Amino acid sequence: MASCGNPIADDSALMLSRPRFDKGKHCVKCKLNLGNIVIRHAVYCRDCFTPLVIVKFRRALEPHVNANAGTSKRPKLKASGSLVLGFSGGLGSAVLLDLVYKSYFAGRPPTDENGDPRGGINHPRNVSVWTSCAVCYVEVSSAIPEAHERTEEMRSALASYPNLKFIPLRLEDAFDESWWCRMTGNPDMSQLTLELGKDGLPTEGLNLAHSSNTLSPKDALRAFLTALPTPTAVSRAIQVLIRLLMFFTAQFHGASHLVLGSSLTTLAVSLVSCVAQGGGHAIREEFQEEWPPGLSPGVERGGSVRVVRPLRDVTMKECAAFAWWNGIRVPGRPRLTRVITGIPGLTKDFVVRLEKDYPSTVSTIARTCAKLEPKGTSVGECWFCYSHLQGGLADWKARISIRSHPNLKVVERLASSSPADSSVHPDQTSRLPPLDTHLCYSCITMFTSRSSRKSSFAPPLIHHQDMPLPRWVKPQDAEEAIPVSKNGELWVRSRQSEKECRESIADFLLPDN
Amino acid sequence: MDESDEDPKTGLRTPENPSSLRLHDRSHLDHTVLVMAPMSCALCQNAKAILKRPKTGQQICKECFFFVFETEVHNTIIQAHLFEPGDRVAIGASGGKDSTVLAYVMKTLNERYNYGLELFLLSIDEGITGYRDDSLETVKRNQQQYNMPLKILSYEELYGWTMDAIVAEIGKKNNCTFCGVFRRQALDRGASALEVDHIVTGHNADDIAETVLMNIMRGDIARLGRCTQICTRGEDTIKRSKPFKYAYEKEIVMYAYFKKLDYFSTECIYSPDAYRGHARTFLKDLEAARPSAIIDIIHSGEAFELREDIKATQKQQQTCKRCGYMSSNDLCKACTLLEGLERGMAGSVITDRARKKLDAMGPAPDNLRTIPHFQSPRPAVSIQSPSQES
Amino acid sequence: MSTITVKVEFGGGLELLFGNKRVHSISLPSFVPADNTIAPSSPPNSETPLLAESDDPPLPANGPIPDPMKGLGEMKAKPLDVQYLMHYLRSRLLTERPELFMDGDTVRPGVLVLINDTDWELEGEGTYEISDGDEIVFISTLHGG
Repeated sequence: MASCGNPIADDSALMLSRPRFDKGKHCVKCKLNLGNIVIRHAVYCRDCFTPLVIVKFRRALEPHVNANAGTSKRPKLKASGSLVLGFSGGLGSAVLLDLVYKSYFAGRPPTDENGDPRGGINHPRNVSVWTSCAVCYVEVSSAIPEAHERTEEMRSALASYPNLKFIPLRLEDAFDESWWCRMTGNPDMSQLTLELGKDGLPTEGLNLAHSSNTLSPKDALRAFLTALPTPTAVSRAIQVLIRLLMFFTAQFHGASHLVLGSSLTTLAVSLVSCVAQGGGHAIREEFQEEWPPGLSPGVERGGSVRVVRPLRDVTMKECAAFAWWNGIRVPGRPRLTRVITGIPGLTKDFVVRLEKDYPSTVSTIARTCAKLEPKGTSVGECWFCYSHLQGGLADWKARISIRSHPNLKVVERLASSSPADSSVHPDQTSRLPPLDTHLCYSCITMFTSRSSRKSSFAPPLIHHQDMPLPRWVKPQDAEEAIPVSKNGELWVRSRQSEKECRESIADFLLPDN
Repeated sequence: MDESDEDPKTGLRTPENPSSLRLHDRSHLDHTVLVMAPMSCALCQNAKAILKRPKTGQQICKECFFFVFETEVHNTIIQAHLFEPGDRVAIGASGGKDSTVLAYVMKTLNERYNYGLELFLLSIDEGITGYRDDSLETVKRNQQQYNMPLKILSYEELYGWTMDAIVAEIGKKNNCTFCGVFRRQALDRGASALEVDHIVTGHNADDIAETVLMNIMRGDIARLGRCTQICTRGEDTIKRSKPFKYAYEKEIVMYAYFKKLDYFSTECIYSPDAYRGHARTFLKDLEAARPSAIIDIIHSGEAFELREDIKATQKQQQTCKRCGYMSSNDLCKACTLLEGLERGMAGSVITDRARKKLDAMGPAPDNLRTIPHFQSPRPAVSIQSPSQES
Repeated sequence: MSTITVKVEFGGGLELLFGNKRVHSISLPSFVPADNTIAPSSPPNSETPLLAESDDPPLPANGPIPDPMKGLGEMKAKPLDVQYLMHYLRSRLLTERPELFMDGDTVRPGVLVLINDTDWELEGEGTYEISDGDEIVFISTLHGG
């Protein structure tokens, strides 16, 4: 028996709740003042709260500043390049911007009576940790009908932080040849597209083609988004575009660090959402990523870029109180009402609601996921999102969801013999390879997983025969296309056609009659 | 970017459709789909499609549905090398949909692919008046229908307490903890009595996806590491596996419906509604947004593992000092809960803190009722055989 | 019937639901219906709280204060609390998408409430009894990150 049908009969389903706070109304830190805020069952006064947030911010960021850990217990903070801060206009990134600016870039160091920098030369504010800081904002209005442009609003929000460079980007830059040429330094006219099925959505095979006609970047972006099958896919696609636009920008500007304003709450949402979209293999990348130089094809310049989320221990509630009590201006994120639907939106609602009843949940989620690592070796990077690629996906999918069987006997035979790896046919190399063997599980799912809901077709913005892909999706040459695992073993996987399947098991088939 | 209804032909190569058929306007397409009814099966392209597969969204015929459902379970069994020929396998049978379909499919596959298994039905009687008595009748009918020996083991027989008595003692809150812990150990003991090598349970894909989410939210890394494993095995306990690991709950219901299987569906009278929601409701929402979510979550669960340095810090499994069952503490959960019941402090053994309080009260009295010592395997006792064999 | 004046402020984007006005001064009777019934405003068109500008010191923005207990006969009364205030704000001042402000009898998860600069969780949440001159802030944390 599975269970009694009650989801909590298994004691693993039980969540115990605790009182909001259980140790009195005084601040747990100074033990003198009456508390002003409850953070995960603990009470803090306003005076102790602000330094608490700053400490959490530093503790999450500073161990990742220096390129190498070194041997010193308190090494001098020195980054190998500049800093790029991803700014969405939302609460988290507004708080992050304020913290980064005040900690590392604001004014001259205060001095003591002797004119020496107060706090010693090793104090973070007295050291120029990064050469400069650029704030990068990605305008998403082109993705959403009726959305208005907010770039200038964001620019003006930065007015109170002098000396920071503002880098406005647009979501459609991902499809813009001139932007890609600027990033990579080499002219590349080719754009790839995905062939669409007759329903206007990508087919299971994910066949690549060269683009025959050129769309403007904005139209290409819209054609791309329109061809995605679910709101979940649209949310993920936009997220990936923003992440990669920022990464390429950071690399182009010689940045050693890209900092993002994800709070602990946001992090918990992305972790659960990542799991719900099949991204278990890449779960560590939700915490921190390190992009080695030359990861992207053709991008020659720049060293490695570390993606750090310094607010990963600060909840959304703490961010809100911090912003309120410190007068931080939060311009607000563009209203991505359509974009946060689907699984990311459902997850956000779920996690925020859970956090209200169980205030420790978000940190539990983050701590649990931090203890995980990908199982097995990676076989390269996903061509679309650049996360680690797990081997054997096609076999797994074919085994657990049978989607075609032209001949019952064929499939019966297939099922009883173990699936064998096949190698690429020589004549296939002349064509563009199907994309599905070069995409991670989440991206394949994004392109091909359909919704069961009845559709309510809004008129498509643009209907185009093929789906334009971002400029960074490139067929690599034959040698690179064969990923080699750490132990030197070759992993080559390609989807078998029905004919190939039949040929490979021909000896086991009985003649039809 | 609106949600689109699947095309039944989605995912199939359709060389017979020349590109001239490509439609540039989706509203036009919608219309075309409407006039194409009735739909033929997306798999055999022959029979009339009568259902839409929850897992893939394809519209397929009844025979193809049976075929893909059974073949996927078979694939799962073969890929994981679950059985050896000659294995004695107990099917945990509750009379509910999952275990009824499992018994039917195990019997079907065992015959079709010559697994060479000896199959048994194993039922646990929790002692809930008006709940399990009825579903046990279903299991007894299954025993006849499938011609499999049946063993019923009751909580009363094993622990000296029925769930009715436990609820009378502790009330409805937390009673599910008792029931869950007691059932797990009861299954192992029943299996040991049957001298089987293996228990298969009806846990389906929805159950596993829910457990993945739940373990992440509760921070239960030990369970998170193993909850997507198809087969688990303790030190000296019997192998336990989940052949329905990739089968959607909806498809199990659909299978039972089209096969006209006899199953029992009521909810436990002691199940408090207050706990409903949480992970299960969330999962249903995710599935509604994108049906692949269930399988996607399981894929995630299989794609990560505990970091090596964390694994090293995990508690070693040991055996319960009192009953010999596997345990992560001196006393296993069942013995702890039973001791609480016997000492009239059942409500206080759910949490670790309360547990310490219980310990502080001194050692358990000598006259305490305990669970018989566990040995695996034990000689078979009192197995009810199908009537035609007796 | 005595009156309590309370300063209400919205932040984090929540002000967008309240006619894009951040600060409101609300005057309410000290005793209100225990079931949080909001009496229809009377006379119906005489006051438009959204247009009333609030300055410092705050002036009552909601016009003449009707006694919500009047005409309710045997209805039970309770001292003015935050829960009643929220129902009042939703019925009278909210201009759009009420589900983004309240969820049942409390605020939607993700909204931080400060009563005189202190987390309302320390003050009994909705049961906090409002005193004259209290300042209550509602901040949405969901406006992005």
